[in-house]
Amino acid sequence: MSLKLTVVRGGGLAGLTRQTELASEALPAGEAAELHELVEGAEWSGEAEARAAPANPDEMSYEVIVDDCGRTTTVRFTEQTLPEPIRLLIAWMDSRPERRQSIVPR
Amino acid sequence: MHRLDRRLMHRCGLPRECCFILPPDLLARIADEGREGQRQAAIRTIAASASIRTRRALITQLVRFRGVDPAAFGLFAAPRALNRTVYDVDHGGWNDLPGRQVRSEGDALSHDDNVNEAYDGADSTYRFYKDVYDRDSVDGSGFPLISCVHFGVDFDNAFWDGGEMVYGDGSGQIFQRGSLTRAIDVIGHELTHGVTQYTAGLEYHAQSGALNESFSDVFGSLVKQYSRGQTAEDADWLIGEGILVAELGQALRSMSNPGEAFEGDSQPAHMDDYLDLPDDNDPRNDNGGVHINSGIPNKAFYLVATAIGGNAWEVPGQIWYQTLTQRLDPTSNFRAAAEATVAAAADLFGAGGTEERAVQRAWEEVGVLG
Repeated sequence: MSLKLTVVRGGGLAGLTRQTELASEALPAGEAAELHELVEGAEWSGEAEARAAPANPDEMSYEVIVDDCGRTTTVRFTEQTLPEPIRLLIAWMDSRPERRQSIVPR
Repeated sequence: MHRLDRRLMHRCGLPRECCFILPPDLLARIADEGREGQRQAAIRTIAASASIRTRRALITQLVRFRGVDPAAFGLFAAPRALNRTVYDVDHGGWNDLPGRQVRSEGDALSHDDNVNEAYDGADSTYRFYKDVYDRDSVDGSGFPLISCVHFGVDFDNAFWDGGEMVYGDGSGQIFQRGSLTRAIDVIGHELTHGVTQYTAGLEYHAQSGALNESFSDVFGSLVKQYSRGQTAEDADWLIGEGILVAELGQALRSMSNPGEAFEGDSQPAHMDDYLDLPDDNDPRNDNGGVHINSGIPNKAFYLVATAIGGNAWEVPGQIWYQTLTQRLDPTSNFRAAAEATVAAAADLFGAGGTEERAVQRAWEEVGVLG
C-alpha cells in the first residue's frame, strides 16, 4: 500500500512557500503503518474552499495532498481552520528524517 | 474534548465562539444597537467571558465591522497604560490559545527566554507608539498586549491572530530556533497589524494587504531604529535580521533593497515588477502577494526617510502614521496610499514643502505616481 503525503505551507511572516513530502515507501514498516493510521484518523471530506477562511495577518495557510495508491485528495486550511488530527499529522511528518522539503520558487 | 465536538467546532470555523450560549453575532448586535440596559448586559457578558479569544473576537467584530469606538465600551478602561501578559501554548495549536499564563505586568523574570523576550518586545513597541505618536497601545485605549509563545511544534512562524501575538519556536531549518521573539522589529511588525486592524483596517489581500504588510514593516523597522537610536542613514532597513538560518539569508525583507534579503526573495522594488498573483486561498499565492508586493511601498518609505534624513520615526514616521490612522480605508490601493501620504505631508509640514516633495518623488521613483 503506497501512501504519499504532500504539505504546502504558504504565507506567514516570511511569505515563503514551502513544500514537504513524505512517502510511505521511504519509511520503515512500523512508521509506514503509523503514517497510514494518522492519515486514516484525520477527516478528509468537507469543502476545501469553505475551510480556508480569510487569513489573519501573517497567518499560515496549508494545502494537504494525500495520494493513496493514485487516488488523490486535496484539502486547504488556514492556521485557524486546521483540524487537530491534521496538525498532529504534519508535526509527525516534520519529525521524520525521510521527508523531503523544499522552498517553492516564484 | 469529545471528537465529534471538535469536528463540529472546526466546521463552524470559530472554535471558541461555539461554546457561547448566545450567538456572538447577536451579542455583538445587542452591544451595538440594543437599548441601554441590554447594551450594558451584553457588554458585561462579553467582558466576563471566560475565553480571551471570544472576548477579542467580539470586540474586534464590533470595532471593525460596526464602527464602534472600543473606548466607549470601557472594557479595558481601567489601566490606560502598559499591560502585558505572556502565555505558554506548550506546543498546542489554534484551539489551545492562549495557553497557560506565565508572566504578567510587573512580574519578575521568567526562566524562559522566549517569555522574557516577548514581554520586553511588547514593551519596546508600546513605548515607541506612546512616546512618538502618543498612541496608547494598538487600539489607542490601552489594549492589553498578549503574547503567546511556544505555539505549535517546531513552528516556523509568528502571527497576529486578531487579538494576540503568537510565536512559534522555529524549526532550525527555516527560522533559527528561538529566534522569533528575539527580533524586536518582528514584534513591532506583529503589533502594528493590531494598530492597522483598529485604524485603516486594510483588507489582507492584494494591494490593500500588501499595504497592511508594508505598514507593519515600516513601523516594525522604526521600533528597532527608535530603540537603537539610529538615524535613517545608520539603520540597516532589514526586517528580521539574523533570524533565518544562515543558508537562507540574512533577513526576511530589505526595505532599501527589496528582493535581496535572502536566497529566493522575490520582492519587487518598482511597479514594473509588480507580481500579480491570484487572490485565492492557494498557499502558494500569499493572499495575492501581500508579502511580495509590499516591497514597493517599503522602498517608497525608505526613499522618503533617506531623502529627509535624520530620525525616520520623526518626519517620515509622522506622515506614515497620520496616513495609516486617518487617511486610508479597508480597500485602499497603492495609489490611494501614495496620494494620502502626499496629502499628510502637506497637512503636517506645509503644502509645497520639501517633505511633500520628497514623498511625491519617492512614489514616482517606485512607479506608483507618475
